[in-house]
Amino acid sequence: MAEALKTLIDACRAGEADYQRLMDRVPYARFLGIEVNAMGEELTFLLPRNETNVGNPTLPALHGGAVAGFMEQSALIFLLLEMGEPRLPKTIDFTIDYLRAGHYRDTFAECRVTRLGRRVANVHISAWQVRREDPIAIARAHFLLAEDPA
Amino acid sequence: MTDKTDPGYTRLDACRRFVESIRHSRELAIEVLDASEQRVTARMPWAEQLVGNPETGVLHGGAVFAFLDQVGGLANACRVFPDFEITPTIDLRIDHLHAPAPGKAVIGAAECYRLSNHVAFVRLEAFEEGREDDPIAMGLATYMRMKIPREQMMGVKTDG
Repeated sequence: MAEALKTLIDACRAGEADYQRLMDRVPYARFLGIEVNAMGEELTFLLPRNETNVGNPTLPALHGGAVAGFMEQSALIFLLLEMGEPRLPKTIDFTIDYLRAGHYRDTFAECRVTRLGRRVANVHISAWQVRREDPIAIARAHFLLAEDPA
Repeated sequence: MTDKTDPGYTRLDACRRFVESIRHSRELAIEVLDASEQRVTARMPWAEQLVGNPETGVLHGGAVFAFLDQVGGLANACRVFPDFEITPTIDLRIDHLHAPAPGKAVIGAAECYRLSNHVAFVRLEAFEEGREDDPIAMGLATYMRMKIPREQMMGVKTDG
């Protein structure tokens, strides 16, 4: 892992840098417009209502792929910060269930690391728009963790 | 009313019009290459804004995911052609077999291999342009069929 990234992670954890900087390093995260909401080390993620993420113009509804990309990127950042010694995660697989239409409005996501192994991490992601209890999509993903600690 | 066997436009026309009407797919610059009843192929060019790892320039898995979700929807449209249906995704799993080379376009292929009364079952595959024998991602999806009477479809612009 690049030294600059490790330094940034340490600064975020120490409360000296905004978690958003970690997100904004990734061009695809900026493309979707993902924002990080941090309360201490508790993170939720926001996909602001954005025209470029619309899939169905007649409803209008968000593109399912944009919602999935948002959830995957949220999980990547979340996982990076869950590790004592951060190692770069790579997506092995990503599985999503779409439960409700994603309306053209702000979308939120939260993550839970189900298991953090030496090589593989399992993460569960939930996305909602109105209430946490009524997710529009849930996903689970496996990530391969780089061998070298940061 | 048009003859069911000849609606006056091809599957490829329908797919291209479809993608053109979907903002996020335009942002991904998806181009439909080929469309038959059995299989749809499309191309997503490499773009700086779709990069997931700024150190390597490799595309984000999410971009490949969104691309394949779209191509799967097109496969459904081709299977029911010339009828028109909205087919929201029920679930979709993508396995990322290896990273696509930075700078290379990704080709996505989808096949609706089973169409039941209410559900479309789709197989998905992605590979680097020019390397058809070495997939970068494989996927499996189900989509809900929401049939739209032909009389109504004139006013409907697209699927999501």
